[in-house]
Amino acid sequence: MNARVCAVIALAVGLATGCSGLRLYSNTLAPNLQIRTEAKSGSVFSSVRADVGIYRVDPQCRIEYQGTVDLDQPTVAVGIPTDRPSYLVFGFSSSSFLGGTRGSISQETLLRPRPGYSYDIEATYKDDLYNVVIREVHPASGVRRAIDLQPLTACGRVAERPAGK
Amino acid sequence: MECRVTTVLAVSTLLLAGCASQPQTAEEFRRAVPGAFMAKTETFEVDRSFRDVAETFQRRAPECLNVRIKTTSSTSTSYQVIVARYTPTVMVSKERAELHVQRKFESGVLKVSPEPEAGYYLLVADAYPLEKNRTRVEWFGPSRGYDVLVRAVKAWASGENLGCPDLTKI
Repeated sequence: MNARVCAVIALAVGLATGCSGLRLYSNTLAPNLQIRTEAKSGSVFSSVRADVGIYRVDPQCRIEYQGTVDLDQPTVAVGIPTDRPSYLVFGFSSSSFLGGTRGSISQETLLRPRPGYSYDIEATYKDDLYNVVIREVHPASGVRRAIDLQPLTACGRVAERPAGK
Repeated sequence: MECRVTTVLAVSTLLLAGCASQPQTAEEFRRAVPGAFMAKTETFEVDRSFRDVAETFQRRAPECLNVRIKTTSSTSTSYQVIVARYTPTVMVSKERAELHVQRKFESGVLKVSPEPEAGYYLLVADAYPLEKNRTRVEWFGPSRGYDVLVRAVKAWASGENLGCPDLTKI
C-alpha cells in the first residue's frame, strides 16, 4: 500500500471518527452491562442504528465523554466503573433512503453499578417507539429488579448512594 | 419551499381554521379541535385504573416528551435543519389526569401567529376514572402526520407499550 493510499485512509478514518467527535469506548473493564438491542425501522426504505455513549460523572456532577459503543449486535457486553456513576446515552439514529432525511433521538440515564451485580439492559426501537429498560441482577440469587432511568439532575442522589448497599 | 415547512405551515394555519387565533391554553385547544380542519378527537376506554394511567403519564411524559429534536433534510438542491422543542405538562386531580404536549420551533420554521411560551399545543389527552378500575381517555390533536405521538400516548394509557415516540418522525 503506497503512502498516498495510506494518507487517504487515515483522512477518511479521521473524518469518520475524530472530526465527528465520536470515539470508540475502550471497554476494558469486566463487563457488568449486558445490552440487548432490537432496532427495526419498519420500512425497507429506512434504517435505524443504535449506540450508547458513555460519560464519566465526576463528584461535581460534571460529565466527560468516554466513548461510544455500537449496539450493532443482538447482545453487547460493556464494562463501566462501579466506584462512581456513569451517564449512559442510548441513541437511535434513523435515516431514510428516500428524501435524504436523518434523525436521531436518545434516552439517557445515570447508572452507578453495584460491585458484583450485573445489569440487563433492553434497548428497543420498533414501530417508531423506543425504550430503554434496565434491570439489576443480584449476583447470588439472579433476582432481577427494574431500575428507573435517572436524569442527570439526580446526579447528587446517585453519587451519594453507598456502594454495595 | 420544503414539503415539511409547507406541511407545518398548513397545519398551523388550517388546524384551527375559523378561529381568530391559535389556542393559548389547553382548554382553548380542547374547544377548538372538534370543529377544526385536520384535527381530531377520539375517546376510548382502557382496562387500567385511573391511578395507573395517571402515574404512567407522570412518569413517561417527562422522560419521553421533554426533548429537543433536530432533523435535517437534504436533496440535490436544498439542505434544511429544523429544531423543535417539545414540552409535556401533566396535571393530575381526583377527577382528571391531563397530558399536554406543546411544540416550539426554535429554528427552521416560520411562525405565522402568536404562540404560548412553550409553543403551540400539539396534543391534549385527558384521562377520567370509571368504575371497576377502568379509565376513559379522550385526546385532542391533529388527524394526520402525528401518528407516532398518538400511538405512544394511547399505548401508555393502555399499558401495552411504555416506549417513547420517535419525534423525529413527526
